[in-house]
Amino acid sequence: MNEEVKKKNKELIEKSKQVVREAFKKYDPAKCAITWTGGKDSTTDLWIIRQVCIEENLDLPQVITIDEGDAFPEITDFLVTISKKWHIDLKWLCNFNMLKCCQSHLGNDIQVKDLDERNQAELKRIEFEFKSFPFEAESYAGNHLMKTVVLNKFIEESNTELLFMALRRDEQAARKEDEYFTHHEAGHLMPEHTRVSPILHFTERDIWDNTHLHHLPYCPLYKIGYRSLGARSSSNPGEVGIPAWEQDLENVPERAGRRQDKEKAMERLRKLGYM
Amino acid sequence: MKNVILLTIDTLRKDVLGCYGNQNKLTPFIDSLQNKCIKFTNAQSTGPYTQASFPGLLTSSYYLEYGRQKKCSPKRTLISEVLKKSGITTAGFHSNPYLCGYFGWNRGWDVFYDSMQDEVSDKIPYIKGDGINYKVDQWLSSHIKDNHYRPFFLWTHYMDVHEPYIPAKEYLNKVDPSINLSEDEMLNLFKEVILKRDVSNKEIVKLLKKLYDAGVCETDNYIKEFFSILEKCNVLKDTVVIITTDHGDEFGEHNGLSHDGKMYSELISSPLIIYFNDRTQGEVCNTLVSNIDIPPTILHLFNLESFEKFRGHSVLPLKNYPQNGVFGEAIGKTSNHEKETDKPTCFYQENDLKIIYREANQSWEMYNLQEDPEEVNNIIKYSSETERMKSKLKPQINRWADY
Repeated sequence: MNEEVKKKNKELIEKSKQVVREAFKKYDPAKCAITWTGGKDSTTDLWIIRQVCIEENLDLPQVITIDEGDAFPEITDFLVTISKKWHIDLKWLCNFNMLKCCQSHLGNDIQVKDLDERNQAELKRIEFEFKSFPFEAESYAGNHLMKTVVLNKFIEESNTELLFMALRRDEQAARKEDEYFTHHEAGHLMPEHTRVSPILHFTERDIWDNTHLHHLPYCPLYKIGYRSLGARSSSNPGEVGIPAWEQDLENVPERAGRRQDKEKAMERLRKLGYM
Repeated sequence: MKNVILLTIDTLRKDVLGCYGNQNKLTPFIDSLQNKCIKFTNAQSTGPYTQASFPGLLTSSYYLEYGRQKKCSPKRTLISEVLKKSGITTAGFHSNPYLCGYFGWNRGWDVFYDSMQDEVSDKIPYIKGDGINYKVDQWLSSHIKDNHYRPFFLWTHYMDVHEPYIPAKEYLNKVDPSINLSEDEMLNLFKEVILKRDVSNKEIVKLLKKLYDAGVCETDNYIKEFFSILEKCNVLKDTVVIITTDHGDEFGEHNGLSHDGKMYSELISSPLIIYFNDRTQGEVCNTLVSNIDIPPTILHLFNLESFEKFRGHSVLPLKNYPQNGVFGEAIGKTSNHEKETDKPTCFYQENDLKIIYREANQSWEMYNLQEDPEEVNNIIKYSSETERMKSKLKPQINRWADY
């Protein structure tokens, strides 16, 4: 890797560390939590936060991961292996009530009336009006219940004030103007908290440069072509067989393999009369 | 010229434009540009629907050249990719789901808006022309902020003519004030008549055509707005604007509706207008050209060398254009979407002769467009040109066997 990349990488990490230090100045690490999906971004994020904690002699905040009920086994293995290696006490979060209602079976229909009060209230909050929906982590209702609700419940019960996220500005145009810290006011079923994304300024390319430069572990799915890992049933490789970092990261969108885009396109094509 | 704009209007029939002879004054703005334009009277699309036509328009390649694929093959090169490499800023704004990032059309753009992140209305599932113009305005204003902006290639695509044919009331009034349909009633016509391809009631087909015409009228107004954005940003004087469509639309001409896999003029024959701000006199060009020639023409306008993978030829300067005949292909779908079992179809046109082949029933048709512009008298059995014309299509047909 050439000197320019190394120099840039150093600057990127230093910027991230500054953000992390600032976070720890404002918030007690005991009131912080780190989200870790096992994907390349949150692994990089965790790696940086961990370094700051070691340098500043602070306890690593609670690390959490959300089990959407449709995870790649490769991702689960990765989380287990690396948390052992890095001595992390990883907390697994899951919406058990929802899994129960569909017998943990992907695609099974969930009757809204079978869900517990909290889940029902959450669906009402997002103005979901149907009587049932299929269990898919990236469908509208499924995504909300399996991810957002689980996260909100955790924040509330653990009194978390600051949540470390791993968003990047280059992920989508809408994130271009994002700030490192975003405060979320309390709302119905949504506890007040702040989110911080220390790697906001990293591009997808920067993530891979950093991963290789510092020999960070990564999930083997990236090596066979996946660029963005979501739920198993909704993620597809970018170019099959070509490692993520060797693909055209600059011109082909990272989430092109995620099914949400496809669903949206299909839905509109249907309404145009094409399906 | 500094900048080039490709303005494409989805589903726009050539014969609805005043400058192409329509008497109903549906497109006063486009018509008003004519003294600054070269108007091509004989431009043909490479296919009768978006997926079949856009490979020609943006990659100068044919639809089935890389096999039957739903996504834009990585083997194709978009004009945006070529231009971006040459240091030209590339920006695309549209709301056609078939051309969204998921289908691979987002390559090579510095800025690519496909509207998939935005909410659309339930009845009209795309961002309308004013929304597209708003995005263009935002981008253009920021791009030209300092006076030394980089030359740009801008592609803007409007969906407003495309079904479900729910035009805004004021445009419907211009076409026929006696039509008094609610949006729900128009949507219902779309579902009950268009989707079912039901041409049995001629009056209803006529009514649908009027709704379509109102969409044309509406789009003409968006184009007017678009040009005023260019003027406001002071770039029109340095910009060539190419105006065309991807394909037309059928209203019972060949016993169908909408745009399925047919190769007749109501779907294939395209308006093509090139606007030069510094011209003072319009020009009419009757040469047979194809939308596959558009990417090479854009390269020519930027003074760039031709790109070896592009199949077409620049239509400028006209004297250098090789007059070869034009070709197009599609899946001969007979309903509103391509089924795996549907077989390909193709056409070849040379002068006034057009030959069409359908793989499904291995049938041939040939028409003399001069004598029979409606393409109803199949002369394949009588013409002395049949064998020669067939021989032109055979290499393309043989290519399909490899899929």
